[in-house]
Amino acid sequence: MADKTMPIFVPSEKPLKVVKWKVKQGVFVSQGQILFLYNDSSGNGTDLKKYKATRAGTISSIKVKEGDIAEPGTAVAELEECRHPTVMKEMCAECGADLRTDEVTNRDVAVVPMVHSVPELKVSEELAQKLGREDAERLLKDRKLVLLVDLDQTLVHTTNDNIPPNLKGVLHFFLRSPGCPGRWCHTRLRPRTKEFLESASKNYELHVCTFGARQYAHAVADLLDPEKKYFSHRILSRDECFDARTKAANLKALFPCGDNMVCIIDDREDVWRHASNLIHVRPYSFFQSTGDINAPPPPVDEKPKDKQLASGKNGAQLNQMPTLDAEPEQKDTSKQKETKDDSDNGKIVSKEAKSSSSEEKESEEADQESDERIAQEQAEPKWVETSDGQIEVEDPDDYLIYLDDILKRIHKHFYDYYDKMGKNQIPDLKSIIPEVKSEVLAGTSLVFSGLVPTHQRLETSRAYQVARSLGAEVTQDYSDKTTHLVAVRAGTAKVNASRRMGEGKNKLHVVTPEWLWSCAERWERVDERLYPLQRGGQSSSRRPPAHCSSPPPAPAPVAAMRKRTPSGRFMDTINPLLSFSSDDIADMDREVEDIFNESDESSSDEEKPRDDDLDDEENPPEDRLMSASAENSMQDSLQERLQQEEATNDSEMDDEPRPRKRPRKSPPSDDEPPDDDDSSWNLMGAALEKELLAQD
Amino acid sequence: MFYHISLEHEILLHPRYFGPQLLDIVKQKLYTEVEGTCTGKYGFVIAVTAIDSIGAGLIQPGQGFVVYPVKYKAIVFRPFKGEVLDAIVTQVNKVGMFAQIGPLSCFISHHSIPADMEFCPNVNPPCYKSKQEDNVIQEEDVIRLKIVGTRVDATGIFAIGTLMDDYLGLVTQ
Repeated sequence: MADKTMPIFVPSEKPLKVVKWKVKQGVFVSQGQILFLYNDSSGNGTDLKKYKATRAGTISSIKVKEGDIAEPGTAVAELEECRHPTVMKEMCAECGADLRTDEVTNRDVAVVPMVHSVPELKVSEELAQKLGREDAERLLKDRKLVLLVDLDQTLVHTTNDNIPPNLKGVLHFFLRSPGCPGRWCHTRLRPRTKEFLESASKNYELHVCTFGARQYAHAVADLLDPEKKYFSHRILSRDECFDARTKAANLKALFPCGDNMVCIIDDREDVWRHASNLIHVRPYSFFQSTGDINAPPPPVDEKPKDKQLASGKNGAQLNQMPTLDAEPEQKDTSKQKETKDDSDNGKIVSKEAKSSSSEEKESEEADQESDERIAQEQAEPKWVETSDGQIEVEDPDDYLIYLDDILKRIHKHFYDYYDKMGKNQIPDLKSIIPEVKSEVLAGTSLVFSGLVPTHQRLETSRAYQVARSLGAEVTQDYSDKTTHLVAVRAGTAKVNASRRMGEGKNKLHVVTPEWLWSCAERWERVDERLYPLQRGGQSSSRRPPAHCSSPPPAPAPVAAMRKRTPSGRFMDTINPLLSFSSDDIADMDREVEDIFNESDESSSDEEKPRDDDLDDEENPPEDRLMSASAENSMQDSLQERLQQEEATNDSEMDDEPRPRKRPRKSPPSDDEPPDDDDSSWNLMGAALEKELLAQD
Repeated sequence: MFYHISLEHEILLHPRYFGPQLLDIVKQKLYTEVEGTCTGKYGFVIAVTAIDSIGAGLIQPGQGFVVYPVKYKAIVFRPFKGEVLDAIVTQVNKVGMFAQIGPLSCFISHHSIPADMEFCPNVNPPCYKSKQEDNVIQEEDVIRLKIVGTRVDATGIFAIGTLMDDYLGLVTQ
């Protein structure tokens, strides 16, 4: 870019005398500014002439002194042209030049939109680096870090539905947008949000990063921070995102010197591409019928039925459902429906947990945590009308206390490292955050019982990865170091063995998987006494809740996983649809066709296939593991299957439990749900059937 | 710069307004339709001062709508390069600051702010401060700036300003 210097030649054919310079060396001149006064060197011309700059730039050198005579053809001065390092609306913000009409070479100099809320304002790479460095230095000086805060389901929950106007703690605002009538938004702040922001802002510079529209983001930020002391103008919304599906793309622009000091809190891992500096928070849900109103669109290029699509669908389903059932029977069916429609992730787990816990009468203490989760995800909140006419809603969410603690620990770690490393070296949060997490259960050694299906490799299970990310060791069998047994239910060989061992050493903790999920959620070693394994009790939360994230698996297991899924990505392994073999899917196809061909004749064993389904999500049939070659054909038939499913949905079949009978290829493993409640399932199935027939 | 000029505008009126109040409605409609708009040529129409004439209405065939050509005088605001104006600061960030001159938005890059003024992000609201701390520019302050460039779109004008000249900067009342 240094070649942009151009000489200013003597502006006439005759020699001239420079009378006075109007500018100094190194000064920025704009186009049309007077540079110097001159007259003809003959001396008799008394009238002074002005020389104006033809372009904007900086005077890099002055070659002719005042009073000297310059010959034609020589340079009077040199002008370094403006490089347009800051561009606003395609106009250089330094010289005012219009870059739309300028030469094309200037076009893409300034490309980095550095200011959150003004995407039109762009700066050059060089300037961005400089500003980024200044930012980093300032943060280090103040001993702060950067925290990117998500809004929806992390700090707030917003709905557009009609809700009672007198709900306590719910804020209402109206969004107007050109072209559409506008909408009311009702926002509930997560309990203790204000305290959390106050505390976090001491150690962190807070930025909002949301997929909500700009107007929405600013409105919510205004609710959270009316004095603008936490976020100021650092609000990034959907309108400024480069990519509709991921927020990660904007990081480079906002932090041109790297994201070493950036920590992220979000309820969605995928929008950050599973970044290791992300703290995956438990999603906050207050309004039962609404999911995340600002969820990004589901990816089109990947598998069509992924998490958010399913949850969106689920949200709609919940919406239609009666919220207050009088008949318990009806409620049962709706719950059953819910269970069925919850195609993936941990929700299903907690629901099962609830039904089993209510049956088994587990101790209050042990179930506190899972009850809490259930209360948030599915149960009716308790509506209590207070004396002043406001409806108070019980909201047991206390996650922000733990989150605040996690953030404090991360901050301390970072600056401990920074002080140790000395100047000019900045530690990287991308490695510090996993490290902090891995200290949670450091020194413990876990053995799982009933948590991982027998034919699945321990290293590929999610429970293993969660435990490893928390720093625990996991072994297949007992060793000298074993400190914890995580068991799904009592009575397995390992549990029995633990009793014998426990007598000897007296320090083996026998806990339910909820203990592990709870540790992963809070990033602390939760007291084991809260999650004892009950004799004869069954806790069936074999899979972690969706927000108990673990970083992508280490290289070694990846190789093993390649065999399992064509793409080898971790997400695929937890998609239950992919664990069907091609035979299974062909079977299902045939069955769907059968349904279409036959009339709606009922079968009393409707619920039983559902059990099969559940099993197979967890226990892929044996041949599935053997035939890696069938993978591709499987993908194809999966597509078919999904289309079929959509067709079925269209014909309003989705309310009915689809009979899916297929030969069981794997022997039932030891962690199978009990079959003894089949009869009650059958009864409920029959009731549902009756209802549907009545509707027809 | 402000101008008081004659302009023309066509008012399209629905037949339901045909009645004794017709001309009043035409006037009302003119005010709502032109005040606050912006054209590249004349700039922002600030206020209509007088309506000179309302021409003969022409009924649109097949519709029943009627079109009135209206001649009016209005005060317009047209920013020019090199013009010095007073503005109110709306946003301050590390790249520069945004200011508002009535309906006109303006950006002043850090480079165009005197070099002795530094950006201070830690105070609330953020500001530009000179080393002696005697000169502080923050949100809501009035500054005097010079326009160095304008971007004229169909719907609005955006300006680039500078504080690098004599007598520019914070205006103290």
